[in-house]
Amino acid sequence: MKALIIAEHAAAAAELVAGARTMADEVVAISFGGAYECGADKVLNITVPEGLTVDSAVETVNAAFDAENPEIVLVEACRHMKVIAGSLAFHADTAVITDVTAFEAEGAKSMYFGGIAERVQKAAGNVAIYTIGAGVFDGAEGANGSVAEQEWVAPARPVKVVSSQVIEKSGVNLFKADVVVAAGRGFAEESQLSMANDLCDKLGAGLACSRPLTEGVNWLPTERYVGVSGLMLTPKAYIAVGISGQMQHMVGCNRSGAIFAINKDKNAPIFKQCDFGLVGDIKDVLPAITAAL
Amino acid sequence: MKIAAAFKVVPDDQDIKVAGDRTLDYSKAKNTISVYDLNALEVAAQLAAEVEGSAAVAITAGPASIDEAKLKKSALARGVDELFMTADDACAGMDAKATAAELAKLVAQIGDVDLVVCGDGSADNYAQQVDVQLACKLGWPVVNAATKVTCKGDVLEVERTLEDAVEVVEVALPAVVSVTPDAAEPRIPGMKDILAAGKKPMNVAGASDVAAAAIEVVDCKAPEQADRKLEIFDASEDGAIDSFVAAIKAAL
Repeated sequence: MKALIIAEHAAAAAELVAGARTMADEVVAISFGGAYECGADKVLNITVPEGLTVDSAVETVNAAFDAENPEIVLVEACRHMKVIAGSLAFHADTAVITDVTAFEAEGAKSMYFGGIAERVQKAAGNVAIYTIGAGVFDGAEGANGSVAEQEWVAPARPVKVVSSQVIEKSGVNLFKADVVVAAGRGFAEESQLSMANDLCDKLGAGLACSRPLTEGVNWLPTERYVGVSGLMLTPKAYIAVGISGQMQHMVGCNRSGAIFAINKDKNAPIFKQCDFGLVGDIKDVLPAITAAL
Repeated sequence: MKIAAAFKVVPDDQDIKVAGDRTLDYSKAKNTISVYDLNALEVAAQLAAEVEGSAAVAITAGPASIDEAKLKKSALARGVDELFMTADDACAGMDAKATAAELAKLVAQIGDVDLVVCGDGSADNYAQQVDVQLACKLGWPVVNAATKVTCKGDVLEVERTLEDAVEVVEVALPAVVSVTPDAAEPRIPGMKDILAAGKKPMNVAGASDVAAAAIEVVDCKAPEQADRKLEIFDASEDGAIDSFVAAIKAAL
């Protein structure tokens, strides 16, 4: 069995190679702009010409796939690679099994309806293509068997880069935080977030939010929202403040150690999904909690 | 410019229940437009309004049950001029490959489409693959993760927000672009919009030669829920804050 890894980032490549080792006896990895030290038997490096997006490499990846003829393709779940994966699936007359969270005997597990259910799927044909997020496999840097340059195939439909700006991350790694405070629509104005920040300072917690606080109002950066298509967190304690408890949010935190909820509506669904709840107005109770801690 | 906004009809996830055997019960969940596809409809409507002589249409494919008067009006009340719908039970549960093939047929039927706008992902699968497969089927370029779309003559300038960078790209039309919710806030249709929608052209037809499934679903169940303590305090009662704080301290 042969597996092909397609990753834009070195860390993802190492994880996927480690995962592929459990399914295949030969692992070939495709890298972009320099071979990753990912422990593959062979790395095929693709140099994308200046001025083109990484996902303009579709035809080049297809050519590598045809030459290698793998049965399994593991692709990093990121925006550029999702275009590569989908185009490769079209080329191979199949569809991608996306955002796999675990591999089981019967097939690959992914979330359905944002996590309301989990679905196990398998490819009907001879080739299975999966996209896989960070952390599904443990990987480490490792020496490659060999490295070769994959010949560039000029794209029929190029996407040109006008400019590219690195996103400055806020520096908070919510995945590593033992305590996460999440703010929701219960915050009526942006200035009230200072109360959530004060609580975070007291607890050494990271501040997250529900989707409404990042979209439209932009009170917090997009990378901090928890739930469907956002963060999936498992801290020791998750403190949801002014969050009603819709399924779309809860799937991102319901594997936390303990869940605390503060909401002024005693009928909010979150009070049926938490360990400890406090019914009260955040204006009054947040400062009181911070003071008492 | 002729713009087609693709949308998916899904059961409203707010009303999906989990049955005792952890299977999903859709019996109370009405058909609705998948939430992030509302942003696609809005982007199409706004672009059509900006570029003189433009038309925006909505396209969708799904099982026969999506051919519902209320749902069709809901799509047409959002700034698009015409609806093209493939409603056929052969289209139930299609994967990205089959969906793209059916949408490509509608794009061909409409003719002279310059741009297809897709949403960020559907509420059920969230595979983020129909845009890519549709572009391949049409032989067009695709740009995903679009947070801003600007028409500049026969090219499109798209700001896409990736995991670690904001990339501004230029792509020749015709093209497929999938937009994130940041690209445009969906309008809330008023009564007038909904009444006007009823008079707009609705083209509904069955399907033929729907592609066989490339993915087989082996199992689909709600995850086992952790048992939670469900101890709720009322802040107006004495000692409630202290009890809550004590519980937080105990969890650390």
